[in-house]
Amino acid sequence: MLEAIKLKKKYGDFEALKGLDLKINAGDIYCLLGANGAGKSTTINLFLNFIDPTEGTAKVNGLDVTQNPLETKKYLAYIPETVMLYGNLTGLENLAYFAKLGGHAEYTDADLRDFLKQVGLQDEAMDKRVAAYSKGMRQKVGVAIALAKQAKALLLDEPTSGLDPKASNEFSELLKRLQKGGAAILMATHDLFRAKETGTRIGIMREGRLMRELSTDEVSHADVERIYLEHMH
Amino acid sequence: MAEASLSRMKAPSLIGVVARKEFTEIVRDGRFKWTAAIMVMLLLTALATGWQKYAAYSAMQTAAQETSNRQWLKQGDKNPHSAAHYGNYAFKQAGPLSFFDNGIEPYTGNLLFMEAHKQNLAISRPANDMSAVTRFGDLNGATVLQVLMPLLIIFLGFTAFSGERERGTLRQLLSMGVGPRELLWGKALGIGGAAALAIVPCIVLGALAIGLLDLSSTADALWGRVGLLTAAYIGYGLIFLFLTLAVSALAPNPRAALIVLVGFWALSVFMVPKSAAEISKAVYPSPTLGEFQAVMKADQVRGLDGVPTAVKFGTYVRELMKEYNVDSPMKLPMYFPALRMQKLEEFDHVVFDHHYNALRNTYMAQRRFQDGLGLLAPLLPLKSVSMGLAGSDLLHHDTYTRAAEAHRRVMVERMNGYLSKAAADLNGVSNSSNYMTADEEVFAIVPPFAYTPPGLREVVTEYAGALLILAAWVLASIVLAAAAVGRVRRAGA
Repeated sequence: MLEAIKLKKKYGDFEALKGLDLKINAGDIYCLLGANGAGKSTTINLFLNFIDPTEGTAKVNGLDVTQNPLETKKYLAYIPETVMLYGNLTGLENLAYFAKLGGHAEYTDADLRDFLKQVGLQDEAMDKRVAAYSKGMRQKVGVAIALAKQAKALLLDEPTSGLDPKASNEFSELLKRLQKGGAAILMATHDLFRAKETGTRIGIMREGRLMRELSTDEVSHADVERIYLEHMH
Repeated sequence: MAEASLSRMKAPSLIGVVARKEFTEIVRDGRFKWTAAIMVMLLLTALATGWQKYAAYSAMQTAAQETSNRQWLKQGDKNPHSAAHYGNYAFKQAGPLSFFDNGIEPYTGNLLFMEAHKQNLAISRPANDMSAVTRFGDLNGATVLQVLMPLLIIFLGFTAFSGERERGTLRQLLSMGVGPRELLWGKALGIGGAAALAIVPCIVLGALAIGLLDLSSTADALWGRVGLLTAAYIGYGLIFLFLTLAVSALAPNPRAALIVLVGFWALSVFMVPKSAAEISKAVYPSPTLGEFQAVMKADQVRGLDGVPTAVKFGTYVRELMKEYNVDSPMKLPMYFPALRMQKLEEFDHVVFDHHYNALRNTYMAQRRFQDGLGLLAPLLPLKSVSMGLAGSDLLHHDTYTRAAEAHRRVMVERMNGYLSKAAADLNGVSNSSNYMTADEEVFAIVPPFAYTPPGLREVVTEYAGALLILAAWVLASIVLAAAAVGRVRRAGA
């Protein structure tokens, strides 16, 4: 579903990505670990066609993202670190807007409220202006937008940073639900614990290179931390 | 390409979705409530004062003209040439939409005295009665729209892209796969709609004014004028709408966008127009009143072709005597003094026409030059078009002064002509003018003063250039916005 083939990105002299090969299929929850500047966000931006690759290809559902910028986005859902929404509109109105933009005008008001319920947003909050939402609530709306989009692939950039353990746990449950629905998930994160808990595979990045790939069912929590720190020198 | 057809299929409804959300967002914003309220208040005040001024002037003009016409007839029995000196007044009609845009009317006279031997200038300029403060900013609906509508649009739209970029919602938007076309037209529609909300009360009041003042009965093609005027102002609004969207898309942050846009506004609404007026006067200088009158007087005596008027008259008399086969002017079958006054009057007309036409041409050239500078500031052509359609421009004023002069010549010629025939047997009798009196019946051979202001077609022809420049601006701003928004897709973050 998500494929990177010898993906490179250079900004002048600085090599942000030095040739990435990656393959994520439906049902995978792939957690990309690495320090800041390792190239995690660059990878996600390349899949989203927010930047052009210097070399190599990024593919979504078999389509090259640079050749099909609008169509590939139909298969993608993007949840950034802080989900930004329109403050003057309610949570429901925000969801409705993004759902329609994502090509789904068929949802009724009840359908949309159901999505928000699925992600755990309280009924009272749905009709309040988003300016009053907490970070966790915004993120729930972000996931609802991804759900409503019925995306085949999800790109998440540090989704659990700043969330309390309960919210973080709720988020994991949502991810598992999406995975069961057949989505391919790429998650950039610092959260080693969450990566082992929820992820199916882990990739460790350092200075633009993918150093090591692991299957989470083959390692323990302690192993993950040890291997990660090994590669950080 | 599959890519293009996909976006085209979704395009119509997506533009509406973006527009509706943009509109809702803006209307709920505090900044909209304030700017819209101020705009509405100013517009209503300006229109109400314009309405009141127009009603008052129209009533005065109609009554005064009637009084003047009656006074001409009832001036008392006297010699016809004396009657021509008694004269008559010509009052200018107010432009049909001058309650909205009173153009040059405060600065040009609306009253002209028609008398023998003289072509007067129009007097009674309303500006002379105003204090310095009121003269500086004549508040009318047109000025408010011309100056403040762009600012309103800028305030509502400068965050269209730059704000979303700063807030982070732009990434979310772009990740949905929304095309640049949908974003551009959706935001244009949404923001334009919100701005229109602030202007709707003005339109309603304007229509009410037109109806209650019964303007359509007195003006030629009034609704045509209204339609074209509306289109011109909408075009002007669109220029600023698309420029705002373009700058918002290109600027690195909202503050930069606002600075650039307000800077452009200050330049194109104040600086360029002010200097345009001065530059046009430097390129096409017009004489001072003193110079004008002095040269005119001199030419009246020496003749435009260098042959003095006295000599020309002598030649004319000799030829006339030959024609009637007499050896003295006193033997002609026309009253000689009347003949003499009419002929001298006609020699003067040539001189008057030459100088007044030159003056008119200079003013027209100045105006056309300023319209040309409209390539730098869209306000300039809009001002011209607005005054022209409202009927408060130089074209309408010239039509009035020309009509007054034509009427004056008719009056003088008919009075002199009557005297010439009726007193033919008084040739040579000294002080004979005292023995020739005419009455109301004679005076009635001069029709009352009336004139037809320029029609819509004439106005459109005169301002075709300005309209074209406005249209070019609209096109250019749309192209710029489309290009700028196209780049947003690539930059993303």
